[in-house]
Amino acid sequence: MIFSLSGKNILVTGASSGIGRQIAIACSAMNARVILLGRNQERLDETLASLQDPALHLRYSADLLEYDKVESIIKDATGKTGKIHGVVNCAGISTTLPLRVINMNKMADLFHTNVFSAINLTKIVCKPAYIADDGASIIFISSVMSVVGEAGKTLYGMTKGALVAASKSLAIELAPRKIRVNCISPGVVVTPMSKSSFYSQNENTLNQIRSLHPLGLGRVEDIANPCVFLLSDEAGWITGTNLFVDGGYTAR
Amino acid sequence: MEERIKNAFQKALEVEDKEIKLTDQFRDYEEWDSLGQLSLIAILDEDFGVEIESDDFNEIITVGDLLKAVQKRS
Ligand SMILES: NC(=O)c1ccc[n+]([C@@H]2O[C@H](COP(=O)([O-])OP(=O)(O)OC[C@H]3O[C@@H](n4cnc5c(N)ncnc54)[C@H](OP(=O)(O)O)[C@@H]3O)[C@@H](O)[C@H]2O)c1
Repeated sequence: MIFSLSGKNILVTGASSGIGRQIAIACSAMNARVILLGRNQERLDETLASLQDPALHLRYSADLLEYDKVESIIKDATGKTGKIHGVVNCAGISTTLPLRVINMNKMADLFHTNVFSAINLTKIVCKPAYIADDGASIIFISSVMSVVGEAGKTLYGMTKGALVAASKSLAIELAPRKIRVNCISPGVVVTPMSKSSFYSQNENTLNQIRSLHPLGLGRVEDIANPCVFLLSDEAGWITGTNLFVDGGYTAR
Repeated sequence: MEERIKNAFQKALEVEDKEIKLTDQFRDYEEWDSLGQLSLIAILDEDFGVEIESDDFNEIITVGDLLKAVQKRS
């Protein structure tokens, strides 16, 4: 069986970099029409250029924290592509902060970007005017930190756990409309985000992180492929799950 | 600035009463550990708007060295 996204319109946030970029590429390779969202226009254009048949797809450079502007983008996009069959909420930021330096500003920043902006976008896309009438698949890119811990990951883990919790109730609430809602929880994947993390700055700490992944660190393709599956009709009976794609990180 | 840097160490290592001297080699502090280092880096970023690359940080030995590094970057 080959998973196809043919005839589907898929919205990907965080498409200007790392995992989100590869998800967009994989969706276009499976014949989806992709709507790319990110802040950095130049890197968004690079993603667009690497898609199959770039002219087919749309890209919008926007800050998802400007909550009130999101609907006009969705309206414009669906006006051009038709209704949306899949959303991958991949935009996010990370941090490693010991408890002693966590403060209200940092908590607010992380929650706004990682949680509130994704729920806001999902709320808008799920309006009957924008979502496909025969159902859709919504994915939140969470993290292994949603269920396990590391020193300094309290704040990041709180936001990723919140996405898992939200996806469960959304799965129930939206099931009557055949909208499936799932999370993917990656281990450490080599991207600009992980490369700028403190553990990548020195060989010792990077080796420690490597040793936590029995199959080695992840590649962006490792996350994009299961994403394609969850977006496809072949995953039609899967909702409310949190799929770990972590090279064995959580097997211990 | 000197006082603020000393305070940054006190905050990062949670040792409000400890006397911090410019000549101290801070990695010798009993309280120095990886969480302390992460905290110090977070404080430099938030309170001073300064980011110090890991390689550069490794060359900073004393509290006074850090003061100079922060002054250079701010
Ligand atoms: N890499 C890992 O090891 C790892 C592991 C587990 C989970 N994850 C999760 O996977 C997702 C992608 O991570 P990545 O490694 O691919 O990171 P990345 O390369 O840093 O990409 C992050 C993306 O999020 C976008 N973004 C951030 N804030 C935004 C905002 N306010 N509005 C619009 N877009 C925004 C960025 O857009 P611009 O660049 O245009 O600003 C960028 O496209 C994140 O949710 C992350 O938490 C990553």
